[in-house]
Amino acid sequence: MNNPKEVTRILFENFHPQAIHLFYAFGYASIAVFIYGCYVQIRKYRRGKPDGSWGELLHRFIDMVKTMATHRTLVRRDKSAGRAHGLIFLGFVLLFIGTSTITLEYDIIEPLIGVRFWYGNFYLWFSLVLDLAGLGLIGGLIYMMYRRKWLHLPKLDYKRVDRQLGGADIDRSEYRREDWAFLWSFILIGVTGFILEATRLVWLSGRPSVWDYRIWSPVGALIAHIMKFVGFTPEGAGTLRLGLWWFHGLLSLTFIAFIPYTKIKHIFTAAASLMFKDPLAGRRLPRVPDEQKVAGYKTITDLTWKNLLHLDACTKCGRCQEACPANAVGAPLSPRDVILSLREFANHTLNAKELPKEAELDIHGKDIGQVFMETLWSCRTCLACVEICPVAIEHVPIIVQMRRNLVEAGEMDPLLEKTLQTIHKTGNSFGESKRKRASWVKELPFRIKDARLEPVDFLWFVGDYASFDPRNQKVTQGFARLMKKAGVDFGLLFEGELNAGNDVRRVGEEGLYEYLATANIQSLDDCQFKSIVTTDPHSYNTIRNEYPDFGGTYEIQHYSTVVKKLIEDGRLPLAKKLNYKVTFHDPCHLGRFNKGYDAPRDILKMLGCELVEMGRTKDNSFCCGAGGGRIWIPDPVGIEKPSQNRMKEAAVIEGLQIFVVSCPKDLTMFEDALKTSGYEGKFIVRELIELIDECMEYDFPEKEIAEEKMVVETHSVI
Amino acid sequence: MKILVAVKQVAALDEDFEIRADKKDVEEDFLLYDLNEWDDFSLEEAMKIKESTDTEVEVVVVSVGPDRVDESLRKCLAKGADRAIRVWDDAIEGSDSIVISRILAEVAKKEMPDMVFAGVQSSDQAFSATGISTAAYLNWPHAAVVADLQYKLGSSSAMIRRELEGGMLQEVEINCPAVLTIQLGINKPRYASLRGIKQAAAKPIEEVALSDIGLSAADVGAGSSMSRVRRMYIPAKGRAQMIEGTIAEQATKLIQIINEFKGA
Repeated sequence: MNNPKEVTRILFENFHPQAIHLFYAFGYASIAVFIYGCYVQIRKYRRGKPDGSWGELLHRFIDMVKTMATHRTLVRRDKSAGRAHGLIFLGFVLLFIGTSTITLEYDIIEPLIGVRFWYGNFYLWFSLVLDLAGLGLIGGLIYMMYRRKWLHLPKLDYKRVDRQLGGADIDRSEYRREDWAFLWSFILIGVTGFILEATRLVWLSGRPSVWDYRIWSPVGALIAHIMKFVGFTPEGAGTLRLGLWWFHGLLSLTFIAFIPYTKIKHIFTAAASLMFKDPLAGRRLPRVPDEQKVAGYKTITDLTWKNLLHLDACTKCGRCQEACPANAVGAPLSPRDVILSLREFANHTLNAKELPKEAELDIHGKDIGQVFMETLWSCRTCLACVEICPVAIEHVPIIVQMRRNLVEAGEMDPLLEKTLQTIHKTGNSFGESKRKRASWVKELPFRIKDARLEPVDFLWFVGDYASFDPRNQKVTQGFARLMKKAGVDFGLLFEGELNAGNDVRRVGEEGLYEYLATANIQSLDDCQFKSIVTTDPHSYNTIRNEYPDFGGTYEIQHYSTVVKKLIEDGRLPLAKKLNYKVTFHDPCHLGRFNKGYDAPRDILKMLGCELVEMGRTKDNSFCCGAGGGRIWIPDPVGIEKPSQNRMKEAAVIEGLQIFVVSCPKDLTMFEDALKTSGYEGKFIVRELIELIDECMEYDFPEKEIAEEKMVVETHSVI
Repeated sequence: MKILVAVKQVAALDEDFEIRADKKDVEEDFLLYDLNEWDDFSLEEAMKIKESTDTEVEVVVVSVGPDRVDESLRKCLAKGADRAIRVWDDAIEGSDSIVISRILAEVAKKEMPDMVFAGVQSSDQAFSATGISTAAYLNWPHAAVVADLQYKLGSSSAMIRRELEGGMLQEVEINCPAVLTIQLGINKPRYASLRGIKQAAAKPIEEVALSDIGLSAADVGAGSSMSRVRRMYIPAKGRAQMIEGTIAEQATKLIQIINEFKGA
């Protein structure tokens, strides 16, 4: 090796001192513009309300680094884009570290203490790594360009679905221009970097400490050889280098200056968004402080700083829109549009030095950047968007907060209004007398304990649909039989139970939710039990995740977990095997909300069923359309319902016999959709409980057996 | 400007109700109470006037009834009423609608409103008399079953449309102050959110005793009423019977039934 100290790159070689000064001036200007932009953004976030996500910073940081390093959220459901982004990300990070290392030596350590390290072997490895990083960067960018230009992905056309009626802000071509400007400037920086490297090699090809080590920058070396081949002289290369150097340098500095003002800011905002991610987002909605006068979000400054940060993290990838059940059936909602509208609104109003007047901050309405009421009411709070967002944007909590404001203003469907009043009056959404809540027990051949009067192991929280809907009552009775058969000590609250409030809260009627939750908590606190069990995933979610905020912390299990254990322990012997070909629909509130994917599937296997999964399954399960209180709002006539869309998906499975659900609302929605979508007779919809029930041999007294055999109908259809 | 809105908390029957031991009403346990549906509309009409102007308009709701009525009054306060008045004395129990309207008239004399609104009727008793008799006690003009109201603040008269049978409307100009009984559908009542109702707890509900309005126990109650409930009962259901057989047999059977019915 030559003198290792000479194996390096001499910075600003052959530059006039004035040129160097000029370059530094550009550099400082660029950093100043960057810092100012960051300041404006931070000022914007600070105009939001406080948020309690500051806890466990180290833990959050480690989580964020893990997510970013693995690109876990980016490769989900879009492997190629995720991997291409991974290359760009890795390339950018390495090149950034590389440039910083040079700055560290040249501008800080060497002038201060006279120490150099960027030479010799370190320099050579450094060159190689950065060359590969640059190659990855360019490769990733080329794929992204190809994807945008030739794949014609609907999620990338930015067509607004929430502005079907028109509107001044329907044009999204600005976003497309920005995307392309970003890709082109980025790739130009990369490509000119390599050519620059090559011109330097050709220019200094007479210097062994440079030319002999060219293999350590393989891409540059390859281009250098080509340049030589086409006849570049060292002098010619030197001239080209000078021009290219300035082009590359100024483009890079401009790029940096533009970061806080363009989509490039996602480098920071997406990372921060991931860091402040709430693992219970949407599962546990935020409380409204008692002293707050108006509930929910009315103005852009009602959003928390974290919400505002989420808005800026969006990279418009469209995964949320793709997963959204409302969007799939043509409802005027795309979670992305909500986020982008609010972002445009925030940038328009909160970037200025002075905050505009209150009236100009209203985010509800039909004007530019405002969110339509129809959009907000289209949401089924199924969390499909929150689940898939690669940068952890929490759409649903924002939508519910905005709905809270609509509810307070009475801007909702008249039928929904009626239902809310009914729930307040009777404690259930069916408008039935409280006394009738447990009327389904009358048909059972055994007595069920009143948990209010005697201690029980399991307190069964039944929920409205399972209690009052005649079809679901059959299932409810089935579960009672299973519990009885297994000898489980269980009891009910009888008329002491009220609607659990999960959907009332997701509608945005927070006051009514508080009333229901506190009343139920009071009833539960007066009982002695070890665990709550429920067949209703909606009740399950709110009791599990939200009641603790109101002082009710209980152990609660979905029936699938309980029954699975009972079967495994031999307490529910299976008298026969079912050979049905089935598919399983994950209820949002059991699956995505609470990760209860496995127990129902395990049970199906134990029953002997052949389980064939649908395309959209588990965390990508497709909402039946009932969530978020939409079961109380009639769906528009003439367009497909999410439940019908789902039936279509299931019907593709060859030889499918049973579409299995494990949620009372699913049973109602899908039995209806089966008829209206024209698949009646092809397959049937059943609650998992009914299949388990079918495998049981009961030894209850004679008269009751007859009623239980509703499963007989199952056979006649199959 | 002040509008007095007379409201009532009405009872709805729960499933499988039972009649009280004295046979004069339904057992209280089986009743679900809520604000009378018509009153949602009359309050909304008052709120519309209040919100249509910058001038100070006070909307006062008044009801005659026991403690439980506060819940319904709070709902009115949540919807935007400024103040609520509840008149009660145990002696009022058993009063007919004429006595109730006398009480309301006394409150109106004290409050001196520019308008009094009431519902056309209550959904539980359906006398349709309270509002109109209040006008009689006040000696004010009145209009019943108002389906549309055009009223300019401070004006000496209002244009109203009354709903008549057969889908007809009658346009009437009425001198103010007046008592209007408001019909369903005149507007779209707003929703009172539960938070709103909770927050309305801070607004005052003034409890008024009979002596405060110049009445005594002797003026109210069943004894001072011009009508009294004698009993409440569920009528026996009629039965239908299919007569089968040949025409002749059917005719014979029919004659037999008629004779039995006549008591022959």
